[in-house]
Amino acid sequence: MKHIFFTILTVFSSLFLAPGSADAKVRVFACEPEWASLAQSIGGNLVEAYSATHAAQDPHYIRARPSLIAKMRRADLIICSGAGLEEGWLPVLLQKAGNTKAQHGGPNFLLAANLVPLLETPVTLDRSMGDMHAQGNPHVHLNPHNIPPIATAIVERLKVIDGANLTTYEQNYETFLARWIAATSRWESEASDLKGRRIVTHHKSWTYLIDWLELKLVNTLEPKPGIPPNSSHLEQLLAQVNEAPVLAIVRSPYAPDQGSKWLSGKTGIPEAILPFTVGGEDEVTDLFSLFERTLDIFDGAVDAKS
Amino acid sequence: MTSRTAGAIVLLTLFSSPHASADEQEGITALQMEIEALQTEFANRISVLEAKLARLQGLPEPAAGAPLQPSKDTTPIITNKSAQEDPIQSASLTAPVAPATSGRRIFGNEFNPSVGIILNGAYRDYSSEMSEMAGFPIGHEGERGKEGFSVDHSELNFAANIDDKFSSKVTVAIAEHEGETEVELEEAFIQTLAGAGLPDGMSVMFGRGFWTLGYLNEHHNHADDFADRPLTNRVFLNNTFNDDGLEVTYILPADFYAEIGGGLFLGDDYPFGGADGGGVGAWSLFARTGGDIGYNHSWRLGAYLLSGSADNGRSSNDDDIFFVGDSDLYVADIRYTWAPTGNPRQKELTFQSEFFLNQEDGTYEDSALASGLVMFDEQSSGWYAQGVYKFNPNWRLGLRYSRLAPADTPAALFGGALDAADHDPQALAIMADWTNSEFSRLRLQYSLEELSDGQEDNQFTLQYIMSLGAHGAHKY
Repeated sequence: MKHIFFTILTVFSSLFLAPGSADAKVRVFACEPEWASLAQSIGGNLVEAYSATHAAQDPHYIRARPSLIAKMRRADLIICSGAGLEEGWLPVLLQKAGNTKAQHGGPNFLLAANLVPLLETPVTLDRSMGDMHAQGNPHVHLNPHNIPPIATAIVERLKVIDGANLTTYEQNYETFLARWIAATSRWESEASDLKGRRIVTHHKSWTYLIDWLELKLVNTLEPKPGIPPNSSHLEQLLAQVNEAPVLAIVRSPYAPDQGSKWLSGKTGIPEAILPFTVGGEDEVTDLFSLFERTLDIFDGAVDAKS
Repeated sequence: MTSRTAGAIVLLTLFSSPHASADEQEGITALQMEIEALQTEFANRISVLEAKLARLQGLPEPAAGAPLQPSKDTTPIITNKSAQEDPIQSASLTAPVAPATSGRRIFGNEFNPSVGIILNGAYRDYSSEMSEMAGFPIGHEGERGKEGFSVDHSELNFAANIDDKFSSKVTVAIAEHEGETEVELEEAFIQTLAGAGLPDGMSVMFGRGFWTLGYLNEHHNHADDFADRPLTNRVFLNNTFNDDGLEVTYILPADFYAEIGGGLFLGDDYPFGGADGGGVGAWSLFARTGGDIGYNHSWRLGAYLLSGSADNGRSSNDDDIFFVGDSDLYVADIRYTWAPTGNPRQKELTFQSEFFLNQEDGTYEDSALASGLVMFDEQSSGWYAQGVYKFNPNWRLGLRYSRLAPADTPAALFGGALDAADHDPQALAIMADWTNSEFSRLRLQYSLEELSDGQEDNQFTLQYIMSLGAHGAHKY
């Protein structure tokens, strides 16, 4: 019996000991699709960006799956949101994978939340307030002004990791940034009529978008962060919305739809299912189309109202 | 500003009139100048503070202690200075930045040990007074839980990175045994971090831990999907194998997940026992692989061997049964998860199964039978399979079946605890649990256990599992 076990073990190990595909691309492990997309924009075809989550998943509730351990094991650059968003699974991956490049504070490890000013940093912390992030709200990618500092950090890291292609990264980065800044000011002029509009959201995933567009968050469908909507809270919300109407009920593709459907049915206020991240809709293939589609959906809601 | 000058200003303001004398006028002017000077000074101080704040916010990862690169002169580092030299970068930085509501940075307690307390208690009701496992030696932990109210699995965890090379974890369980409260050291180990200088993919764990052996053994009770462990783990491992030892694991450098590893142990914990402290009493070897199928399915398969000896004997069944000899325990496990909507937060189906094969070679003694030493070279086996369906973020339903196949009983042990009398112990469990948040869960479980022939035991368990403090890990 033992001989059979040893044979199986030896065959198994030798099958996998041969190193995998040895292409020279820089392997980027991104925790969320927005960072994979940003790294791909800057790295072009010199990098291979992998996203641990897809747009339909809530990035907080992910298991440290076997496939993620294998990806982390061979990653050259790790980009995550940080601020506690991945605290359930990222530490497990780092521990299991044993990748010397994947270390907190090291040059191959980037946390976006450490590069931009965070909103909603709580002054007091108590679990009765729901799923709170001590450092602040981690969904930082939804303000276009947060993208440039993160892009800068990515290009600096890529230049160190793959010095041979330094000039290409530099060029890609400059092209990206010029396009991004132009697009940001275009979006801002287009979206000026959204200023001060009132909205309801499912979860506090939209803080940075609301802050950027100067929208007014009336309330969330979740009574507390991470706690699913319940009927008493929804009734209260209905009264609040009837008193002063809102533009739209906003949710992400991964949020459950019962709460927003119910409120929309009662009030006639449209649901706005915003893509939230790259891949949230078929046509949202990068960060540019993410913001374009988001503003289009808001425009639709404004037009429907007037 | 002293209170006296403040008082003087108030008085002067009150009593100064348009017809003030030249002396008074002079005094007022002097005071006005003094106030202006103070205002300018404060304005300067505020602007200095504002500049400091802006600089802190602009810097990359100010909290991370380690520098990006060893040398600041030769390698590019992102600072405000370099941004000013680069027109594009400075454009991005001078563009209006979203204001932060607060500049305060509050961190979790990652730098100190993260402390977690698990409150795990239950109310259990059993229909059968007896719960004898036919044909198997069974340790104390493997027996069914205490009837009535109990808080028997409450535990205290401390975990932290020690430095850049090591992390550690300590778990202390507070258990009640026969009316006495006991403190048990369940885990106390150090583990290497990626920076420890080992080859990529390798990790070493040293101390006492829940070692890699099948699916459940490395998990804590409170992470289980059912209120009790399946029969296999209760019988073959006395619930958990957490001997003192050392384990090395290595993730192979493949695109696909493949892990191999092995451990050396004292050989004092069930299924071994009576280690006299001399050398290594047990060892293990294992291999696992797994992956994703599309976006929403993932799986893992493993094979494990735990081998060792109970040279000075292992007692079980309340010290009635005594075994001296070698045992080889082979384990195979499979786990499969499926998120029907693509988002496991909403709906998820998990399936897992483990198979155990135990070969024992030595002598058994049943003191209740006064059997004397009986030669024993037999194998027993067992398996369980379970499915758990989360149909919304708060509710889950689960079904589990476990069954054991006892060893052939030597004639000298007939009529005793090791005599299965042609009965295969089996158990069926159905559970429903309600999860309010990641930190609290309530569970109701019904089990039908038939551990010996004709001994049907209907069990009801109401269980709570709550965690205070540290955020738990989402293991696969």
